[in-house]
Amino acid sequence: MGESAILKTLAGIVGGENALSGAWAEAYSVGGVAPRMVLFPGTVEEVSEIMKAATRDSLSVLPMGSNTKRGLGDAPARADIALSVKRLGRILEHESADLVATAECGMTLAALQEGLGGKGQFLPVDPPHVKEGATLGGIIASNDSGPERLRYGTTRELLIGMKAVRADGTVFNGGAKVVKNVAGYDLPKLFVGSLGTLGILVEATFRLYPVPEYSRTCMAGFGSLEDSQAAVHALLNSDVVMTSLEHLTPALAVAAAERAGIPAKRGRYHLAVRIANVEKAVRDQMEHVRGILKNHGAEASVFEGDVENSFWSGIREFPGGASEEGRAVLKAGVVISEVPSVFKVIEMLREGGVEALASARAGNGMVMIELGGDDHALAGAIDSLRMVAESGGGTLVINDAPPGVKSAAGVWGDLGSAYGLMKRIKSGYDPLDILNPGRLV
Amino acid sequence: MKSDDKSYHTRTPGWKHAFGKKLENILGKGGVVSAGDELIAYDADALTGTRIIPMFVVLPESAAQVSAVLGLCYEEEVPFVPRGAGTGLSGGALPTEEGVVISLSRMNRILEVDIANERVVVEPGVVNINVTKAVSPYGYYYAPDPSSQVVCTIGGNVAENSGGVHCLKYGVTTNHVLGLEVVLPGGEIIETGGKTLDRPGYDLTGLVVGSEGLLGIVTKVVLRIVRKPETVKTFLAAFGRIEDAGAAVSGITARGVIPAGLEIMDNLCIRSVEEAVHAGYPVDAGSILLVELDGPAAGVEAEMPIVEDVLRENNATLIKMARDAKERDLFWKGRKNAFPAMGRVSSHYYVQDGVIPRSRLAEVLGKVEELSREYGLRVANVFHAGDGNLHPLVLYSAANEGEPERAHELAGKILRACVDAGGSITGEHGVGNDKKVYMGEMFAESDLDAMNVVRCSFDPKGLSNPGKVFPTPRTCVEQGAKPYTEHPLQKAGMGEMF
Repeated sequence: MGESAILKTLAGIVGGENALSGAWAEAYSVGGVAPRMVLFPGTVEEVSEIMKAATRDSLSVLPMGSNTKRGLGDAPARADIALSVKRLGRILEHESADLVATAECGMTLAALQEGLGGKGQFLPVDPPHVKEGATLGGIIASNDSGPERLRYGTTRELLIGMKAVRADGTVFNGGAKVVKNVAGYDLPKLFVGSLGTLGILVEATFRLYPVPEYSRTCMAGFGSLEDSQAAVHALLNSDVVMTSLEHLTPALAVAAAERAGIPAKRGRYHLAVRIANVEKAVRDQMEHVRGILKNHGAEASVFEGDVENSFWSGIREFPGGASEEGRAVLKAGVVISEVPSVFKVIEMLREGGVEALASARAGNGMVMIELGGDDHALAGAIDSLRMVAESGGGTLVINDAPPGVKSAAGVWGDLGSAYGLMKRIKSGYDPLDILNPGRLV
Repeated sequence: MKSDDKSYHTRTPGWKHAFGKKLENILGKGGVVSAGDELIAYDADALTGTRIIPMFVVLPESAAQVSAVLGLCYEEEVPFVPRGAGTGLSGGALPTEEGVVISLSRMNRILEVDIANERVVVEPGVVNINVTKAVSPYGYYYAPDPSSQVVCTIGGNVAENSGGVHCLKYGVTTNHVLGLEVVLPGGEIIETGGKTLDRPGYDLTGLVVGSEGLLGIVTKVVLRIVRKPETVKTFLAAFGRIEDAGAAVSGITARGVIPAGLEIMDNLCIRSVEEAVHAGYPVDAGSILLVELDGPAAGVEAEMPIVEDVLRENNATLIKMARDAKERDLFWKGRKNAFPAMGRVSSHYYVQDGVIPRSRLAEVLGKVEELSREYGLRVANVFHAGDGNLHPLVLYSAANEGEPERAHELAGKILRACVDAGGSITGEHGVGNDKKVYMGEMFAESDLDAMNVVRCSFDPKGLSNPGKVFPTPRTCVEQGAKPYTEHPLQKAGMGEMF
């Protein structure tokens, strides 16, 4: 079969109006690599048909939703088809008494939340890119999260069941639709964070939470990094149940505060604490939090409503997504007590003329970092940051950066002693290496 | 070759002797059990219906020893079965006849307590409760609390992905295990995850937790610990009908309250438990519901009247709040001893572990009652109502001809009812040897094939705890190595690929 015949067959599966090729397909590039065609299947069966055809002709497939995570991972080694599940966008089941919902993976998180909100429930993940249409499948495949993970965890803790299509088109289910289940291997865990390399996620079942009735946030600046970190440990080892605890480097604190219209002192590390519960519990705990912060020399101001939401949306979206020239976006994972070590490197980089901002999910040890500079400076900065993260037993991943920086510094860092096993799993699910080839393993 | 005769062995006595010597070289004489009378202690876990005496039991003290044993087993193609405290209820630690049992009981050190970072690193033989004991002075605890927590080990919890009575709010073992050291079949030692989160690559930790010993031997576990809640309040409510207790459970969660624990027991359970541990349960009640609220004081105070309203709306005949920690412990002691207490009313019982959506509780309980009548066997009901995890105890006497078989058949029908209601055949006890025949009720062939890919990636020879979980043995297809073929687009004259 010739090129045009193959493309025609594929387009035939989804219908011509749901296929793009040529220049139209360029908008669906991943890591700067443009696919030859983009397909938007409307049913699980169509996804399966596409994968059967892809396997038959060894065509590589880039699974995606809205492609908001196009910068994540290494650039794909090959890119024949971009397969977007965006048209699979329905809630299939929502039994509110069970606090469980099943939805198709092309559904945007925003649409899901709207659908659940009527019953006072929500899926408690708050990743970035929601306004640009981040889908459930993409959030699962990237295990993307936000500041509220302190309270609720990530999709790793919330995804209880799934349906996926394997590279050869076989459709299978993993997990179950009940919150507790240990029958067989926990395949949903394997697919969380697998970046589309093991199969195409088409349906997901989540456990849900009731929307808390009341929320407040307070923010405070500290005299030193030692003080702010001591306050972090004091808060964690208190009776307070926090939804979010964010530790911001001075420059970012000012930017985030100004954006939301909150006062922030320059040159100070800041902590932001969010508490959500019933009103009285929030008020009581907020007083407790302010007391703890005061003991560490910081005066906290409390904010609410639109200001609060705007502040957290800024934190959630920091450091933003797709790459521009001269910019790198990183995620470091360290133990809670090592966050200051990462911040100190950020300070050092700034002194050396690299633009560097950071914000830590202080109770989880995750540090979101944005760097600006030329390729050489960026790669050097990443090396320094990765060295400090790894020396404390942590990791550093490039979420997005110019191609030259990615190849110079390496996207994932050391994948450790289990890398060989990961490769065996990958080749077990995808023996022809057609799913996101080269992007993760 | 296989024979029905249990004494039949394909291994010659000479081979067996030599293999034993090789094990002793690795572990020393004191690390290998080979005497028949000592091996009997390892012939089953807490599911005692089937017993098999293994060839050897080994007691390694380090990952290096485990690795050497697994390397030897790989070379000689000897199957092995990991074992913790042997409290499992699904026969997961049932030995294989010509295999080795690897008991992790000597690897019982707590390696690191890191309060500031909320982590504890342990060896697999550490008893569950000892983790909480180690961190309790700092105001922390280890959340998963299976009823056997005073004896069961973390390694066993990891294998089974154990739950407990507080997992509705705090999750099960997998939500509290962040990293593992695993010895793969063949002897390779790998590390997965770690003390930090979001480590790049596949979540092998999440895959190994709950894999029931089929993917290798865990030799180190990184645990998350959590801060003790400020306030704990426990209610005991009595109901005439168990359906009302079930409706109260749905009512509580529907009002936006997620209790730390929600447990139901029926009258048969209540009576036997009360007799055994004197927990203060009302013996004339049709059922009781335990509701535990925890968290910040003001939050719990706000939730208490909501819970009381729901209990009343659902015809609670008694609502009692534990006065203090002592009475609370007593309430829970009753619940945690529900299984052993059954021994007082029946010589034998068979526990099931099905899960259903909370909203289908009344319907499935009705079905269980129907089945109980049909089979003429009593079924006592105790369950983690909050997450729909039922533990029906089918009572029988092995002395009565055919009764054990009928009890198993009845239990199987209960599982089918759970699956039909959209649930699972096991919520925390594992599939093991016991429930593998029901896997096909819950999963399609394509689902089981997808699981088999995992198994083959870890254990291509199928040596690690073989014969468990999967209904029929599945072979591993040779992976990889596909001859290069010209890409169709290249063939079509598109020229060079990317």
